[in-house]
Amino acid sequence: MTNSPPDALLALTNVNTFYGQAQVHFDLSISVPRGHIVCLLGGNASGKSTTMKIILGLVKPRSGDVTFDGASLLGLSTPQIVRRGIASVPEARRLFADMSVRENILMGAFVRNDREAIAQDLDKMLTLFPKLGQRLSQRAGSLSGGEQQMVAMARALMSRPRMIVMDEPTMGLSPLYVDRVLELIRTINQEGVSVFMVEQNASLALEIAHEAYVLQTGKIVLSGSARALKDDPRIRDAYLGGSEAA
Amino acid sequence: MSSWLDYTINGLIVGNVYALVAVGLALIFGVSRLINFAQGSIYLVGAYIGWVAVVQLHTPLPLTIIVVAVAAALVGLIIERFGLRPLQNSVRIAPLLATIGISFVLDQLVMLTFSPNPRALPSQLPDVRFQIGGGTIGPLDLLIAGVGITSALLLFVFLRYSKLGWAIRATAQDRDAAMQMGVDVNRVNQAVFGIAAALGGVSGLLVGMYYNQIDTAMSLQATLKGVVAEVVGGAGNVPGAVIGSLLLGLVESYGVAVFGTSYRNLFAFLLLVVVLVLRPNGLFASARQAPPEPLTGTFIAPSRPVRIPRWALLVATGIFAVLPLLPVSFYVLQTLINAWLLGMLALSLTLVAGTIGQVSLGHAALLAIGAYTSALLSLTFSVPVGLAIIGGGLMSAALGTALISPSFRLRGHYVSIATLAIGEIVSLVILNWESVTRGPIGISGIPPLSLAGYELVSPISIYWFSFIVMVVLALLQGRLLGSHLGRSFRAIRDDDIAARAYGLSLNRYKSLAFIFGGFAAGVSGGIAAHLYSYINHETFNTQQSILALTVVILGGLGNVVGAIVGAVALVGLPEVFRIAAEYRILIYGIVLLLLVRFRPQGLLGTM
Repeated sequence: MTNSPPDALLALTNVNTFYGQAQVHFDLSISVPRGHIVCLLGGNASGKSTTMKIILGLVKPRSGDVTFDGASLLGLSTPQIVRRGIASVPEARRLFADMSVRENILMGAFVRNDREAIAQDLDKMLTLFPKLGQRLSQRAGSLSGGEQQMVAMARALMSRPRMIVMDEPTMGLSPLYVDRVLELIRTINQEGVSVFMVEQNASLALEIAHEAYVLQTGKIVLSGSARALKDDPRIRDAYLGGSEAA
Repeated sequence: MSSWLDYTINGLIVGNVYALVAVGLALIFGVSRLINFAQGSIYLVGAYIGWVAVVQLHTPLPLTIIVVAVAAALVGLIIERFGLRPLQNSVRIAPLLATIGISFVLDQLVMLTFSPNPRALPSQLPDVRFQIGGGTIGPLDLLIAGVGITSALLLFVFLRYSKLGWAIRATAQDRDAAMQMGVDVNRVNQAVFGIAAALGGVSGLLVGMYYNQIDTAMSLQATLKGVVAEVVGGAGNVPGAVIGSLLLGLVESYGVAVFGTSYRNLFAFLLLVVVLVLRPNGLFASARQAPPEPLTGTFIAPSRPVRIPRWALLVATGIFAVLPLLPVSFYVLQTLINAWLLGMLALSLTLVAGTIGQVSLGHAALLAIGAYTSALLSLTFSVPVGLAIIGGGLMSAALGTALISPSFRLRGHYVSIATLAIGEIVSLVILNWESVTRGPIGISGIPPLSLAGYELVSPISIYWFSFIVMVVLALLQGRLLGSHLGRSFRAIRDDDIAARAYGLSLNRYKSLAFIFGGFAAGVSGGIAAHLYSYINHETFNTQQSILALTVVILGGLGNVVGAIVGAVALVGLPEVFRIAAEYRILIYGIVLLLLVRFRPQGLLGTM
């Protein structure tokens, strides 16, 4: 087993995951340095979303280790992992559709008990996402996709996480909102929150990421700094299913 | 004579009581998509704890209510922790079956502790009635209304303003997302079961006081009424459950006003079937939308069935065929005759529940239809018994399929609810249709079994007769499963949307399964009628439906040999171990619980 570098906030080491007989991850190793944005790229059925589930404890790997701030997450339940300081912006946002926008955002602070600070953070979210101010008492399910993404991000920030994991944050959004979301991710990151995001849209993701990994049928086929990967022709090969050695 | 206002008041009061049960069911369904069939047992436990408190400990009324609420909540917590939490990652049918098993165990424990005889439960309130308009209202009515309204308000405030309440609502809407907010779903489940049980227990206490009588039959009735109210209001919808309950109370009360007391339940179940058929998501759902994910598929535990070599089956059949020639006692033959009759019912149910995935909880109704048809044909029209039994099978096939057909588009748990309701309706129609069924008196003097003019009176001949009929039915069913028809059945069970996409007509195949299954069950009921020589509307009850389900799960859902092995095991083992009759139902409940927990695929595996 390789040891994760000491500055890694989150590290997956030699993770092997199975759904029944089918192997999803083959010796997957990923590390997210403190304060960085790390992006996991890959096409359909590459095992991206399962990586998210592994980090959040929704799926348990058969072997390997997942550490956060040096401590293993493997024995922990999802709520316990969230309490360690990881917040999630799930795929397709997954808001609580019948609860109000305010309730949704406050649900993000479920693990906290400091009422006054929570109220302050809610105000902070409204400066970060000004559009949500008029929507607070509306049903979350009635918002547009872009607005829902804002709520999901605000909800994740409310737990004051050290790291946010995002599953395809730009999926299904209009181009205008895509730019807005990427900008917000950068802002969040500049305030000291590490970000691990899963994306299909490589060119967009590489614009804001520090490092990136390319996942293909459960194996990391490419990794490095985002700047270097941006011009790498192998990115395209990975997406189009080209051979690993290409 | 009571006025309409009186019936309205009565309907609303009874509706309040139902609401206490239904709200708990709605909370549990919301959080875990589970219909808790043990809710009525908690209600029963609540009533009996109340009886102990009032009659033996002489507690004052407010204390009685608190004692019942706390004790019932504890029972709920125990059920959640030990009965359901271990099944979290199990197939979807497992928790449903577990709650059925738990309800059997609880009901039987109450019955063994307190005896099945009804007891009086005094209300501790002065017996006065106040005149309002054209009707009257008493202190107990006001108490029930007060408890109902207070509980609803408390629950509203709790769900709206408390942290745990938020967690419950969030979990109900998106379990995974709630976990990712840090919500401990186990705690949410615990809270919901505790609240539901407390409300259910208090409901039992109040009903006991309202009628000044409690008995163990209350349990199933309460579950049924709660489920009706909840489904009418929209499964998982808490305010809907309250409105559904009041509606149910009124419908029943007006039904009683017009037609008489024995029609009360008939109206409840007709309301349920109408709502299920027309608005399966409840009266308040915005549309008739399909459930977001298929409820079949993982419904049944997948497994590789145990392969039994043909020679072993032949040898076993041979041994059982020559058994009566060996020096065995009358008692053994009698037991095995019961096993063969149950085996036919299990064949029917394993086809319907296992092969095509429609988990029926009202299968005893098919027995009843077959039994009544055969009995009446031979008694009234002097049809030879052999033909009458076949007539019973055909009638069960036709009528059973016709009754269930409006529910063909339902899935998963809803099928179970619909079949349970249809089972109750059949039994209630038998009770009320006196000109044909002789109502509560039942049918006596049914001619004994006979074949081609020869009366089968010796146990040996009855044994052979029932054994041969069962073997023939089993062979037919085996052929059926091996044909393309059997494959189509399984395709529908595993993914009805995909099956439909391949051009399979769901209704036609479900009908075929119910026709074949209905025939086997009807024949079993017909033979039973001529064996017993007396039947009434309670001869074939829900307990038998559940027993048949236990047999089928024990053998392995869909497994033909398994159905027969299960029947022999469940009928035979209690005899072998000489277990007293009153403990048997308890044992069946425990067997069901253990199976669901440790071997959901049954002894021989699902097919």
